Amino acid sequence: MYNGLITPLQRHVWAGYRRLRGVPATMTAPLHEPTAEAAPSAAEEAALVAGSAEAKAVQGRSLGRIAWERLKRDKLALTGGVVVLVLIAIALLAPVITNLVGQDPETHHEDLIDPLFSTPTGSWGGISGDHLLGVEPVSGRDIFARIVYGARVSLLVGFLSALVAVVLGTILGVLAGYFGGWVDAIISRVMDGLLAFPQLLFIIALVSVMPNEMLGLTGTGVRLFVMILVIGFFGWPYVGRVVRGQTLSLREREYVEAARSLGAGRFYILFKELLPNLVAPIIVYTTMMIPTNILTEAALSFLGVGVKPPTASWGQMLSSAIDYYDSDPMYMVIPGVAIFITVLSFNLFGDGVRDALDPKGSR
Amino acid sequence: MTTQRTTGRRKQAAAAAAVVAALLSTAACGGGNDDDGGSKSGAAGFNAANNKVAQASLAKKGGELKFAGAQDADSWDTTRGYYGFAWNFMRYYSRTLVTGKAEPGAKGAEVTPDLATSTAKISDDGKTYTYTLRDGVTWEDGKPITSKDVKYGIERVWAQDVLSGGPVYLKDVLDPKGEYPGPYKDKSADKLGLKAIETPDDKTIVFKLPAANSDFEDILGLASAAPVRQDKDTKSKYGLKPFSSGPYKFQSYTPNKKLVLVRNENWKQSSDPIRKAYPDKISLTLFTNANDMDQRLINGDYDLDIGQTGLSPQGRTTALKQHKGNLDNPVSGYIRYAVFPQSVKPFDNIHCRKAVIYGADHESLQTARGGPVAGGDIGTNMLPPSVPGSEGQKYDPYESATTNKNGNAAKAKEELKACGQPNGFKTTIAVRNNKPVEVATAESLQASLKKVGIDVEIDQFDGAQTTGIIGSPENVKKKNYGIIIMGWGPDFPTVQGYGLPLWSGKYILESGNNNFALIKDKTIDGLFDDYVTELDEAKKTEISTEINHKVMEGGYYLPFVFEKFINWRSNRLANVYTTDNYSGQYDFVNLGLKK
Amino acid sequence: MARGTAAGPRAVLAYLIRRLFAAAVMLVVIILVVFGIFFLVPRWAGVDPATMFVGKQADPAAIEAVRQKLGLADPIFVQVWEFFKGLFAGRTYAAGGDVTECAAPCFGYSFRNEQAIWPVLTDRFPVTLALALGAAVLWLIFGVAAGVLSALKRGSLWDRGAMVIALGGVSLPIYFTGLLSLAIFSYGLGWLDAQYVPIEESFTGWLGGMILPWITLAFLYAAMYARITRATMLEVLGEDYIRTARAKGLREPVVIGKHAMRSTMTPILTMLGMDLGALIGGAILTETTFSLPGLGAAVLKAISDKDLPVILGVTLITSLAVIVANLLVDLLYAVIDPRVRLS
Repeated sequence: MYNGLITPLQRHVWAGYRRLRGVPATMTAPLHEPTAEAAPSAAEEAALVAGSAEAKAVQGRSLGRIAWERLKRDKLALTGGVVVLVLIAIALLAPVITNLVGQDPETHHEDLIDPLFSTPTGSWGGISGDHLLGVEPVSGRDIFARIVYGARVSLLVGFLSALVAVVLGTILGVLAGYFGGWVDAIISRVMDGLLAFPQLLFIIALVSVMPNEMLGLTGTGVRLFVMILVIGFFGWPYVGRVVRGQTLSLREREYVEAARSLGAGRFYILFKELLPNLVAPIIVYTTMMIPTNILTEAALSFLGVGVKPPTASWGQMLSSAIDYYDSDPMYMVIPGVAIFITVLSFNLFGDGVRDALDPKGSR
Repeated sequence: MTTQRTTGRRKQAAAAAAVVAALLSTAACGGGNDDDGGSKSGAAGFNAANNKVAQASLAKKGGELKFAGAQDADSWDTTRGYYGFAWNFMRYYSRTLVTGKAEPGAKGAEVTPDLATSTAKISDDGKTYTYTLRDGVTWEDGKPITSKDVKYGIERVWAQDVLSGGPVYLKDVLDPKGEYPGPYKDKSADKLGLKAIETPDDKTIVFKLPAANSDFEDILGLASAAPVRQDKDTKSKYGLKPFSSGPYKFQSYTPNKKLVLVRNENWKQSSDPIRKAYPDKISLTLFTNANDMDQRLINGDYDLDIGQTGLSPQGRTTALKQHKGNLDNPVSGYIRYAVFPQSVKPFDNIHCRKAVIYGADHESLQTARGGPVAGGDIGTNMLPPSVPGSEGQKYDPYESATTNKNGNAAKAKEELKACGQPNGFKTTIAVRNNKPVEVATAESLQASLKKVGIDVEIDQFDGAQTTGIIGSPENVKKKNYGIIIMGWGPDFPTVQGYGLPLWSGKYILESGNNNFALIKDKTIDGLFDDYVTELDEAKKTEISTEINHKVMEGGYYLPFVFEKFINWRSNRLANVYTTDNYSGQYDFVNLGLKK
Repeated sequence: MARGTAAGPRAVLAYLIRRLFAAAVMLVVIILVVFGIFFLVPRWAGVDPATMFVGKQADPAAIEAVRQKLGLADPIFVQVWEFFKGLFAGRTYAAGGDVTECAAPCFGYSFRNEQAIWPVLTDRFPVTLALALGAAVLWLIFGVAAGVLSALKRGSLWDRGAMVIALGGVSLPIYFTGLLSLAIFSYGLGWLDAQYVPIEESFTGWLGGMILPWITLAFLYAAMYARITRATMLEVLGEDYIRTARAKGLREPVVIGKHAMRSTMTPILTMLGMDLGALIGGAILTETTFSLPGLGAAVLKAISDKDLPVILGVTLITSLAVIVANLLVDLLYAVIDPRVRLS
């Protein structure tokens, strides 16, 4: 929520939520009763997906193909998608890649460091044939290797925390929307509460008091685990609200009625009829959540509560680079660009997916 | 002023443009007139104020001396403060019976009378110290400072439950059994029930020590021995507005934001042989972004960093390349080191400790600390250069600065074998998370130890909880902290002021422990006992050297550097010099401004 | 639509009461959670919270006194209850002959700085508020203008370019852009001092110190608002009443400016409420980068010092800000939604 780190997502989801309910987004109890009918009121890009997904969802299987056709035509989104795939490959193959260039992220090369200034002696941050992106100030560790390994942390946190949010959000959202009554009331209040909570503050506080060993994990493992859980935990209400709204409107639809009249059990209806129709909006929110999570990880590392040394993470690199922003600008530019490219690719791809799932095609 | 700032900024403009273009352009900006040094309006030159006085004659009365800081003092209460810069700054508004000389370098650490007319008349085999107060010494409301105020100020140290945080040497020396409950629980009407101090009249104060302590005058020079007037004592809140006995008084203070001192009109120059009191006003502005603060120092918006712990890497590079004449490179008196708790296996074995010392790449550790200039010379033993008895790099039992400066894997392996761990072992390094440089040294140590088969994990603990985490031997053992990275500077420059809490078996505490290695060596304890009763300076020095040797022979410590800083001094500053009394910091109290 | 009829004065009042009650409950829950984090988790990690409040050479007496003052030995629910009581009745901390009064509303007392929390909050709140509001004005002006232009020139080079820039703005961490802007405009070109000066000391100095943080923060948000304005505007332009307005022969600027804008502003206002609420709670990164003495900087310092009372106070104020901002926006929403009137 702070400084817009979480806001892109928050915005999309809120807009979707608002549209679904046909009422202004509210933190707590809404002024007006939710209407099942999605009012054609305020809307924005993201809202279109969420809102229209319900219309489309009914069309079933053809949705995927139609969307894919659309996506294929969107060059920008495809580029984003390809970059995302490349990044994932880099993260998975980190040891192989660094072996190929003969470097590893933890070996010190102090001989490449100017002892007076602590910066690399070579120009351009010590970029050379051996060190493709130069070396770090002070330690002389290979930046290329650290960027490659850093992708693991960034993507791991980005994906897994999104996964946590989506799983929690979907389950609780469906429960709230489908069962209604007091289940809905409790879950909705919890979501309201979480959304009003100062999140970054909470995460910093929690991570900084965390013990070093828990559940058999040590050091960086604990930090990663906590970061993923906490970021995910604060992300689920965004998903939960949308899923709840979707479920509310879907459960009144004819095919659900039909299933019910045929004697299908509640859980059958939940898993066989409702969930498949929620896939589209969930995919959209996941793609939007990942870049936000990556930025949150970077911010946490910047504030000193991220992963532990010597583990490399882009956020940690960027934050230590701030001490050399003028004397070794490359050290700042490289992780900055890495974050920028990653977040941009996810955003472009996410936008593309959203547009592909959007029948009005407002773009 | 204005013109200087413009030129400075123009140079910066070039550098900033380079940031945008991602070019390393600073080389092009190097040189410049600033380096010439000694010009009347400009900088005094590189190291011009390091152990000598720079531009003393240019200091004029008046003006606002502007401190910048990235961290506020732990407390401005003379009893509670423990930060070195806070003690230094306290001399603006507090006086003590004796204090460090207002002279550069080692001379600054020599005791000289302040409120007292002379240094102590010592009698009774070094157990009785008698002082007479000067005439004309007054509080900020004009009332005279009496011996009772001095006694009351000292008594406050006993109220550790209310006034925690400061040094407790006075309490340990004057009342080792802890019989006096402190002034707030004192049953006597005047609250002056401490038996060890007598005030026969308003001008005389007599200290009666239960056992001699040859450093007692040094201890009386600490800020915690400053007088406090009973009717002005606001107890735990005293640090928000201390009642001044010095040339300046508090005008306003908002913690973590700003502090402003103005002249205390009731202070008389004639009553004070130490303080010159040049500026009219002294301000301290606190920043949250250290890089921002350094940049503003370089731009000339502020005069000096109150923290006096050196510029951060970015500011340092800019300053070294473009404004070398504004820098001093003093030795800080701190030693940065790793220490091996004997409670954690296998560090109970001296050979395993030595294996780490030999396995470490000392040059790499030095680079991690900032290199030879900003970090300091490679540390070879545990006695800081500012402490009498120190031999500096001449005493190098592990040849860390010479033969083995990049580590000696063969010797390390030998020691490992002797320790019964020929294939190396696993352990954990504990390091404060709020000190990036310490984390860098941990990473360096980790990398070099890996080469000899010692596998270490780095555990960054919360720096705000140092006392609770590594200060508890039980916790250290539980967490398996075989290596702790720390630093230590003398509270007052003697072996006692530096090493007693670190090496004495009596100072192993359950909480707030600083004897991390858990050294319990009869020889060392005996040497300390000899030291405190020895009144002869030459012999004291000899004992100090011997203590240092014993500590090093035990292999409890791996010193990294004899720390050095690169400190900034603005073009406006005059009469600047570093003093060993405050670990190589500038002597704040006599800084002046040029007109 | 339901809201047309439901929004009578009585309904609004009932709604307000319900909202306020929900807000109060939420604040209580937040206090409980924060207490839990700072008093239970350290214990679990094996650290005595009292030692965190003591200095370099921790004297057992000092630790005991802190324990006594904070009531750390009491069960956690007693500590929480004392805190609630303090909010309304004030509180007294006493140990070792030292008595500290903390007047109501006592949001706690920081033993690190020997300050009651409430004055700290009121001292720092205006800085954060000014930061948030100033940036909001900027991002609204530029974001909305860019969005409207993009919508009207849909598909043009301007439109495409604005979208990519918008994504760029969203993708850069603020401490990166903040430092860059400081390096260029303040240290480099020297256009702005970018140093905080209290407004009562010098208005121009204050303005000079705030401009850079405003712009940096606004850059992030303007991008977002532009995208949303564009999308909403496009949708609104396709609606019947706009077509009607055009058919009636109204001039295009009137159609856009008066009719379309009104609908477009509704969702933007909703978001503004949330963003402002979150920012007021503490723009931690912005305030740290620019050394602004606001709530965010205070809380970050407090976290590194483990100064629980400050953290609790700021967390409470933050949550309150989020809740109030959203309440206001909801009320405003009912007032300005044109479709409520049109129907």
